[in-house]
Amino acid sequence: VTTTHLASSSDLPPWAVLLAGLLLLASSVILLFELRRRERGGVAIVTTGLLAVMTLFVAVLRPVRIASRESLLGGRVVVLADSSRSMALAEGGETRREVRDRVMAKLLDRAKEVRFTLLGFGDGISRPLDPSKKPTDGRSDLASALAAVADSPEERPQAVVVVSDGRLDDPPEGSSTEALKALDRALGVPIHVVATSRESPPDASVRRVAAAGAAVAHVPLPLRIQVGCVGLVCDELTVTAKELRDDGPPALLASGLAHLKGGIGTLDLTVTLDRAGPRILEIGIGAPPGDAIKENDRRLVTLDVARERIRVLHVAGEPTNDVRALRDWLKGDASIDVVAFFILRTQSDAPQADQRDLSLIPFPVDELFTEHLPSFDAVVLQDFDAQPYGLEKYLPNLAHYVRNGGGLIMVGGDNAFVKGGYANTPLGNETGVLPVHLDGTPGATPADLAPFTPSWTEAGRSVPLLAPLRAAVGEELPVMPGANVLGDPRRESLVLWQHPSRKAPSGVPMPVLAVAEEGNGRTIALGVDGGWQLEFSQLGARTGGRGHAALWDGLLGWLMRDPRFEPAQLSLPGGCVASTPSLLRAHLVPLGPGATPGTVSLDVTRIDQVSEPTAGLPLHLEGKRRAGESVEFVLPALESGGYTARLHTPGGPATRFDFACETGGDEWADSRPDPNRLKALAEATGGTFLFADEDVGRLPLPPPTRVSSERHVVPVAPPWAWTLLATVALGAHWITRRRSGLS
Amino acid sequence: MRGHVGRVRIFTFGLPLLAACLLALALPRRASAFGDVGAFDPRVLLTGTETEAARPDAPPRWSWELVQRTSAPARLRPTSVRADEPTIVETPFLYWSGARAVSPLTSREISGLRQFFSLGGLMLVDDAAPGEEGQPGPFGKTARGELARVLSDATPIAIGDENVIFKSFYLLRRAEGRVAGTKTLDAVVRGGMTRIIFSSHDLGGALARGPTGVWEYSVTPGGDAQRERAIRLAVNISMFALCSNYKDDQVHAPWLMRRRAILPGFEP
Repeated sequence: VTTTHLASSSDLPPWAVLLAGLLLLASSVILLFELRRRERGGVAIVTTGLLAVMTLFVAVLRPVRIASRESLLGGRVVVLADSSRSMALAEGGETRREVRDRVMAKLLDRAKEVRFTLLGFGDGISRPLDPSKKPTDGRSDLASALAAVADSPEERPQAVVVVSDGRLDDPPEGSSTEALKALDRALGVPIHVVATSRESPPDASVRRVAAAGAAVAHVPLPLRIQVGCVGLVCDELTVTAKELRDDGPPALLASGLAHLKGGIGTLDLTVTLDRAGPRILEIGIGAPPGDAIKENDRRLVTLDVARERIRVLHVAGEPTNDVRALRDWLKGDASIDVVAFFILRTQSDAPQADQRDLSLIPFPVDELFTEHLPSFDAVVLQDFDAQPYGLEKYLPNLAHYVRNGGGLIMVGGDNAFVKGGYANTPLGNETGVLPVHLDGTPGATPADLAPFTPSWTEAGRSVPLLAPLRAAVGEELPVMPGANVLGDPRRESLVLWQHPSRKAPSGVPMPVLAVAEEGNGRTIALGVDGGWQLEFSQLGARTGGRGHAALWDGLLGWLMRDPRFEPAQLSLPGGCVASTPSLLRAHLVPLGPGATPGTVSLDVTRIDQVSEPTAGLPLHLEGKRRAGESVEFVLPALESGGYTARLHTPGGPATRFDFACETGGDEWADSRPDPNRLKALAEATGGTFLFADEDVGRLPLPPPTRVSSERHVVPVAPPWAWTLLATVALGAHWITRRRSGLS
Repeated sequence: MRGHVGRVRIFTFGLPLLAACLLALALPRRASAFGDVGAFDPRVLLTGTETEAARPDAPPRWSWELVQRTSAPARLRPTSVRADEPTIVETPFLYWSGARAVSPLTSREISGLRQFFSLGGLMLVDDAAPGEEGQPGPFGKTARGELARVLSDATPIAIGDENVIFKSFYLLRRAEGRVAGTKTLDAVVRGGMTRIIFSSHDLGGALARGPTGVWEYSVTPGGDAQRERAIRLAVNISMFALCSNYKDDQVHAPWLMRRRAILPGFEP
């Protein structure tokens, strides 16, 4: 807009203009008083007098003409649009997100007079809104978004408009007016609110699952489950708690009936999880007919089940120094609960005493390897012959136990591995769970009695599970009195120690210490019985005997998936939302000196068995390990369910990570919109509250500001002209006064 | 005493026993751990000018009895080691016996023994010449004094039939050796683990058996029955050395209580 106007000379300060004006007024008043003393010519006196005063005033002001080009600048308004997953819920055939976008479009109609900044809020601070993107945030954190706007170095907005369904995490439901005012304290501008929804969809849901304390294996865990029901007839709902397992359908852990009052019911269920590590619980309800949102009828809760104590079954075929050393280490760790059975007498022994004079008890092989087996976190078979004690018939149980997540260590000795009869069993046969093949042919050599010193493999030098041992003894290992003859390592196995001269059937050095992932469990084969010499030997004396404890700390720790001994830590920074790609981040253990970064691979499979194969699974991804110690994988959109990711690093064991993908998660757990909370926020901050179906144009947004972009100043007349004019006018007035009888 | 007993019984029992031993050796034996390195070794500790154990034939007999009676492997030719030798740290068990007063340990001997105990080793101190009432003899007294120089805070305590050593294989009511002595053993316990066992019963005297198969020392006052109980105590000590406190595990408790309840001589 181009405008022109007059103004006084710019070299006059405002007080001078004011003073001149006052003098003008005073002169005019004096002139009126003087008229009473005139003899004639009153009109002429007034006319010339006023003209003189005016010209004198103009001569002082010296008017200029200002021509300027101006524009209207709208006030800045920040629009915070809800980007949480709850905006994907629909009422009346239209999603809340669609309503939100419609409101935004109406707001943008006023973009000529208002400068809008469109931001989305959800997880943490607000971000520029991308309307084409689905709302995927797992939270609705309006408080953080407002704080981020207040802290921003950009121009402070003159108003904030929030477009949301009101189902917010922060401010929480029932916030006081003072708390709502505090949200706006830093900004100090009105917060106008547009609510996208008025009515709740007919919906029954699992609203909240809370565990009383941390989940501990074998320890009953109380769960408090809150269910809700809106717009449906449901006085009570059946609630079930199941564990997703990859060996079958979800296992029912507990169930109960929740009685609802006012649309809300709470039920306490107690579940007991036998396995430590990440476990996925499915909490579900039997929803009544008419339920509009099926996805929130079940919640998938990932529990990181800890071990109060590691429960270890230690079975030894005969008492030896190696048995004593391992037992002392196990008993010396207060976090390990050991159940031990040592064979102290065989049929060929002659104790020369009645049974009642002996302290021997029967070896309860039947009980141990049937009903009690799942209660152990790890089983150690040390120099144990399976045949004489009837263990052979339970080896399928033991293999099943491993594949379901148990840990197994077979420690060498004269009665172990081939000599112990494990070769053609589910432990050592072609599909066995041990990390190595065992020769099951008749006459197979069970042991090599030549003393030797195990050699470290490259993997053995780099895996975290042997890092404590290497820190204690370095490269040195004690001389072993002999070794069990072990076959080739299995495909997924990792050999950490090998025989310096003896070869496996394929020609590779014979494994001495090997580890493997098998199903959900892990196994270790240690083909020597001289581990105790890490304590009692010249090496042990030099190292304070720390090597033995360091070895077993690593072996048992790795078996129990202790994070210290994992080659990587996996995480989903943004969680997993069903039907949406997600980011999986792997933090890798730093490479040793001279090690070359390689390719790491990720395999993703489904935990919960579904009737139809999931499209795209099993998933195999590869990532390049660069200078940093992190690798990121973009997982494609996955269905709602439980998944297992296994990360394979070159020359290292696999790292397992279980996770769940939910369609709605917390954001869909309570589908009710909350316009009252939004209204309270608007009232507390001096803003206006509207529903989306009302006229959004009514929102009192700030008026625009004029801004000059170009300005030309031209004097109306030169100063001498104004002076001359004033002199003439004063002269004319003086003459008139004289003629009228005034002095 | 040794020669007298041998002369009396050698013709009566010697030949049949020798034949039995040869027969036993001819029988197939269960294989032991690789190369016997991890097997029980009643390793003789030598100090000062001593060159052999007080009862040189006791350690091999101890091993033999252990192998015959239990599943534990043992070295039938036990080794010996001097306290100041670096190899003292290569096995977890030492057998120190004597009939005479011990000469003061040198600093190297003390250092070696300290290293042995620091690794968790176990030592049996067997007094071959205890007093009539079972009180420590010259060796027992001086050995205790010298070990007090090795381990600070090494005051022995009496251990009776409630201790795991008395139930590690056999259920024993009391300690016995060549002499009946006191019912209890003495032990130095550190960190909850027994490190030194003191016997004032001449356990080696009850075990010692010559190459001809004759017991070298008579056992008083209980004769062969007492010798058998002494052997059982030795077996139990071996089992404790190999299994540690295994028999203290809770899983054994109800069985042991029931058996002790039916055995005479045990307190309920």
